[in-house]
Amino acid sequence: MAAEPVTVLFDEYLAAYARGERPEAAEYLRRAGAQADELAALLDGFLAAAPVPEPTPEAVELFEAWEQGQTPLLALRTARGVTRDRVVDAIVSALSLDPAKRGKVKHYVHELEAGLLEPRRVDRSVLAAIAEAVHAKVEDLFAWRPRPLAVGGVYLRAEAPVAPVMSAPAEPEEEDEIDRLFHSGR
Amino acid sequence: MHDARDAEDRRLLETGDQKTLLAGYFHPVRQRCLLRLRDPDAADEVTQAVFLRLIGELARGRTYSVPFRVVVWKITGWTVNEHWAGKPLTVPLPEGWDPAAPGDDYAEWAGNDDLATLLVGLPKRQREVCELRYLEGLDPDRIADALGMKRNAVDQALHNAHAKLKEALLGGG
Repeated sequence: MAAEPVTVLFDEYLAAYARGERPEAAEYLRRAGAQADELAALLDGFLAAAPVPEPTPEAVELFEAWEQGQTPLLALRTARGVTRDRVVDAIVSALSLDPAKRGKVKHYVHELEAGLLEPRRVDRSVLAAIAEAVHAKVEDLFAWRPRPLAVGGVYLRAEAPVAPVMSAPAEPEEEDEIDRLFHSGR
Repeated sequence: MHDARDAEDRRLLETGDQKTLLAGYFHPVRQRCLLRLRDPDAADEVTQAVFLRLIGELARGRTYSVPFRVVVWKITGWTVNEHWAGKPLTVPLPEGWDPAAPGDDYAEWAGNDDLATLLVGLPKRQREVCELRYLEGLDPDRIADALGMKRNAVDQALHNAHAKLKEALLGGG
């Protein structure tokens, strides 16, 4: 794909930011190709100079969840009244997965919600399906990581959020499409 | 232009509404980390460290002679630099750290950066176009309607303004 002019991308980013759309710089840098360094410097300067927007109620919810040691995904899903089964159905449907593997998908969704699975290991298409199911942006849901706790000035990694333990498959299975989607990285 | 947000930050600090105060900074902090580090995973890690440090600062009950956004950008710059240097990001800030200290080695002074100030330096027509585009987010056709200009003239004004904004942003104002 041909790189787009820095001036066009700069203009688009600033206008989107002004509209409160919280544009993702990574996408703009990708579109800038070899001019990404110049665009990055411009956007960094802009963000230092631009007024910080009011947080959305969703942003406050996500921050609160992180502060309390929850994963934003779990907090937002429950706050929105979306069941885990609905999220699983959304993934299976969006990616045209074998319905017989639904249980395995649910197991992985549980791991994501419990902070036991790194979102960066999960295929972007899965994250997008989850975000759509809970009406959120991928970056909002998965940018926060489980929060360490500070004790005596030293930060300790928090225990994984309490959640019912779901056993892994008893027998080692050959890696399938579901495993690859949840362990492939982006 | 920062005045309204600075006043709101002061109000949130005074009322102890830290979650609303900090939540507003999440997107811009994460974006600046990404723009400097260019690695989404590293950006997320550094963003998290920035917010842990901000929470630590607020827990100390510190007050500042500079707007809170300056504290945020200083801690962001400091944490990014520590990441580059391979230092641990989990160490709280020193007790006596002063965000207004001119000799601070870790971050640039961000107190005077203001988009409105940058736009004021533009010729009147360019400034009007830029304000509608970059403060209101209007598309060029609507700007043309609002200012009674032709679409081409709006595009030309934005093109000319970009060159000046670029010089100001890359040249340090």
